[in-house]
Amino acid sequence: MQTSNNYNRSRYRLGIWFTAPAVIVLLIVLAYPIIASLVLSFLKVRFGGDGLTFAWHGVTNYTDLFTNQLFREALFRSVYFTVVEVAAVIFLALSVALMLNHPLGRSAFYRVVLLVPWALSPVANAVLWKWIYNANYGILNQSLIGLGLIKENIIWLGTPWLALNMILIADVWKAVPFIALLMLAGLQNIPSYLYKAARLDGANAWQQFVHVTLPGLKTTLVISVVLQSIWALKVFDLIYVLTKGSPADSTVLLNYLSWRETFSNLDVGYGAAIANVLFILMFMLALVYIRALRPRQTAQRDG
Amino acid sequence: MPRYLTQFFIRFGLIAFTLLSLGPVVWSVVTSLLPLSALTSKPPDLNPLNITLENYSLVLDSSRGLFSGLVNSLIIATFTAAVGLVIGSMAAYALARLNMPSSNKILMMILATQMFPGIVIAIPLFLVMSRTRLVDTHFGLIVVYLSFILPIVIWILKGFFESVPMELERAAAVDGASPIQTFRYIVLPISLPPLFATGVFAFIEAWNEFFFAIILTRINVKTASIAIAEFSGQYQTLYGQMLASAVLASIPVVALAIIFRRFILEGFAEGAIKA
Amino acid sequence: MNTNRNVRLSRRDFLKLAGVGTAGLALSNYLAACAPAGSNTLNVLVPAAPDPAPPGVGQFSLDAFEQWKKDNGFEVAYEAPPWPQLHDKMAANFAAGQYVHDIIYMSGWVPEFADYLIDFTNDLPADLIADLPASSFSTLTWGGKRLGVIFTLSLLTMFYNTEMLEGIGVKEAPKTWDDLKGVAKELTGGGKYGWVLNYGAPEGIGGVASYWMCFLQQAGGKLYGDDGMPAFNNAAGVDSLQFMVDLMEFTDPGSLSYVGINDATNVFSAGQAAMMMNWPFMWKPANDPASSKVVGKVGSAILPAGPAGSASIDGTDAYTITKLSPNPEGARKLIEFYLDAEVQKRQVIDTGWLPIRLSVLNDPEVQAAAPNAATVLEQAQHPYDSYVTPDYNAVTTAIGVEIQKALAGTQSAQDAITTASDLVTEIVKKRG
Repeated sequence: MQTSNNYNRSRYRLGIWFTAPAVIVLLIVLAYPIIASLVLSFLKVRFGGDGLTFAWHGVTNYTDLFTNQLFREALFRSVYFTVVEVAAVIFLALSVALMLNHPLGRSAFYRVVLLVPWALSPVANAVLWKWIYNANYGILNQSLIGLGLIKENIIWLGTPWLALNMILIADVWKAVPFIALLMLAGLQNIPSYLYKAARLDGANAWQQFVHVTLPGLKTTLVISVVLQSIWALKVFDLIYVLTKGSPADSTVLLNYLSWRETFSNLDVGYGAAIANVLFILMFMLALVYIRALRPRQTAQRDG
Repeated sequence: MPRYLTQFFIRFGLIAFTLLSLGPVVWSVVTSLLPLSALTSKPPDLNPLNITLENYSLVLDSSRGLFSGLVNSLIIATFTAAVGLVIGSMAAYALARLNMPSSNKILMMILATQMFPGIVIAIPLFLVMSRTRLVDTHFGLIVVYLSFILPIVIWILKGFFESVPMELERAAAVDGASPIQTFRYIVLPISLPPLFATGVFAFIEAWNEFFFAIILTRINVKTASIAIAEFSGQYQTLYGQMLASAVLASIPVVALAIIFRRFILEGFAEGAIKA
Repeated sequence: MNTNRNVRLSRRDFLKLAGVGTAGLALSNYLAACAPAGSNTLNVLVPAAPDPAPPGVGQFSLDAFEQWKKDNGFEVAYEAPPWPQLHDKMAANFAAGQYVHDIIYMSGWVPEFADYLIDFTNDLPADLIADLPASSFSTLTWGGKRLGVIFTLSLLTMFYNTEMLEGIGVKEAPKTWDDLKGVAKELTGGGKYGWVLNYGAPEGIGGVASYWMCFLQQAGGKLYGDDGMPAFNNAAGVDSLQFMVDLMEFTDPGSLSYVGINDATNVFSAGQAAMMMNWPFMWKPANDPASSKVVGKVGSAILPAGPAGSASIDGTDAYTITKLSPNPEGARKLIEFYLDAEVQKRQVIDTGWLPIRLSVLNDPEVQAAAPNAATVLEQAQHPYDSYVTPDYNAVTTAIGVEIQKALAGTQSAQDAITTASDLVTEIVKKRG
């Protein structure tokens, strides 16, 4: 009893020591900027002679937002983009991870292939896709015409929804490797005796997937969905390079709008308000996902 | 489903996966090897006789700063990944297993720091960094990148540490191992795949990050991604040179993957649990 | 077991190494950052080449630059990020309110950052001022102060493919809107287009709104009235946009998706489009066999005349000096060096960016190296207002988006102009 108490106390003390470095780094770097961005959203900020000048603006930045049509459209498109992107990334990453975990896909070659798209610098990646999508001499149009699938060049980035979906495809291509790697690690964490037991019970491949693989991957799946949702809502590089929000603002998503107001129009307070709405959106999303995870955790602890 | 059909689908899937992953990359290599005038032909003139290494020799010219950018990125990414893994895995373990009070709240706050778009925190962050004279230093950029990757590292590793069977830890405790020994000799070794995944993540994020590198560096600590972006200007985008430098800059990451491939080759967890 | 011990050892060593390394890095960085940046160092923020850059970033007049530094006892520290990130950097630097740079390159941003800049032009030598086009100061003047000096004459002019035009028996560039439309129509078909431009980005100089401003002035209109309020919701405003819409039929449809002039230039250089408007710099790459298939077939002319004659816009590439600069004298001297006649000459010959000094523009050697210089000088005889204000980005974004809708055919030119005018009125009023 005595030792067990000691053991638990040393665990608790160690916990604090172990958590401290990471928390301190986060506090030092991010505490001020995050508080500043919250405060800025209630201010009218102007560029003056020696820096920024501030005036109290109340909730005007926020009320302006919700009466602004572009903001509402950007909000809707951000939600669309995130839902579709996350669904596509999770589906593709899971398929890739399953294939790479299968004996046929275990070769080191595929592991390296998996990492290649991810290794490409995002700026170069964006320029590469702009080059691929180019209406006149992009390889996409050239190949489709060469294969006889289309007759005329398609202006991939020239019409509203098409442009948004093309950005989405480029983003999915870039995002799949990491999530797939995570899932691969998750798959390797599932003890093989569970599969053996399932097979002994006469489970077929699909039943093994549903009753062993999916439950075993639950934590990984939830984390992947949370992280990927955050990243999808923050997409910026691709829009900046591929379309600058065009055509006619149809690819303006929230984060891009926030950049445009902050850095291009220098309306820092308004830009911060947009970012804070984005933050609230992500936070609520994360809460919902994490709730979904909780019952299993408690069950595990009780058991 | 008959076995041969499964095999067929998996082989087909693997081929599709390889083509889709490498296709755009191959096209960027092709673009970097051919003159622009050949690529703007219809159809593109892919005659191998036109192949030239001119783009590569141009981007390696020291005045373009690609080489020093690669060195800076290597320093920054290595430190970010190493320090991030060490303190991130410690925090993750504490939050997963060490009975921390209100660990869920701490975790949520850690994740919340990731939800602020970098764009709005850039200006206040620049203010802090410039007051503390950390603009244009390796240290400054490493600390900032650490703050971006730590939440991810902690969340991912926490999930994996939770899946380490409690019995293993109890057994270690019965054998007289302290919690710190349990962490180092039991938990870490069987968590190599997720450690690898998060380590690569941290390295690549720090290697490729662009927006904060632009704002927080000036002259001495320009990273590779800045050097790459310099080929995309207002009046001209030098596709060939840009993609040549991007190809060069992704080599270290691919090399990293090749060197450490054994960590993702097989399930370490399986072995540990069997033993 | 054996491998396990190895892993253990190397991990401990690695931790130590990481700790020592981090401490060392931190220390050395801190010492480097604390080292006084010497009052003889001039910090200069300019774009990376091949965008318009001074000697030392651009590859020209390098020896003269070394000599200048030696003679004047200055070090010059260049910060040269990619052009598209310049404005972001400036915003962050200025927001912090601390001294970072002495000299800053600007392009249409002088009014929005006017509070941070000083008027140094009165201290420039009189013969230099006399050698600059007086109108070149117009976009740099804000609140009655001249806050910078233009270093390259960069107006939009017409570029055309002489071979394609001759193919339909046209010897000269089109002189009027009707000519332009007629020629473009005849040259469109079979995968080729009469006209190409980048209509993909709405904002800034080089965005679709700024292009429309050329046509607006050609139609005799102007963006603002004397009271500073929008004054383009009239026949000139609508006609100019209607002309762009009419021209769309003979324009590369990809134009709607090109966000940078580079995308449009490539179509022209590949010989797929007969005409475009572009900056003078384009002459050099369009005549470079590595990137172009129209070498020796590039014609240069002033923009075609609308109802009110020809007109263009100004790229306004300028050097400015910041208010917080501890060494404005030295900064001014460096700018004088950038504008030195010999440096200006090397600038155009080695990099393709035209000089701004009239004497150099009229130099036969310069005109031989850049045959379009004469065209640009002639274009400068016509209006070329870029209408920059502190709200330039917001205004051009608002107008540009409406123009894009008109060009895509989803709204009429009249509706686009009316909406744009309302939006710009709102922006102007908001500033108060």
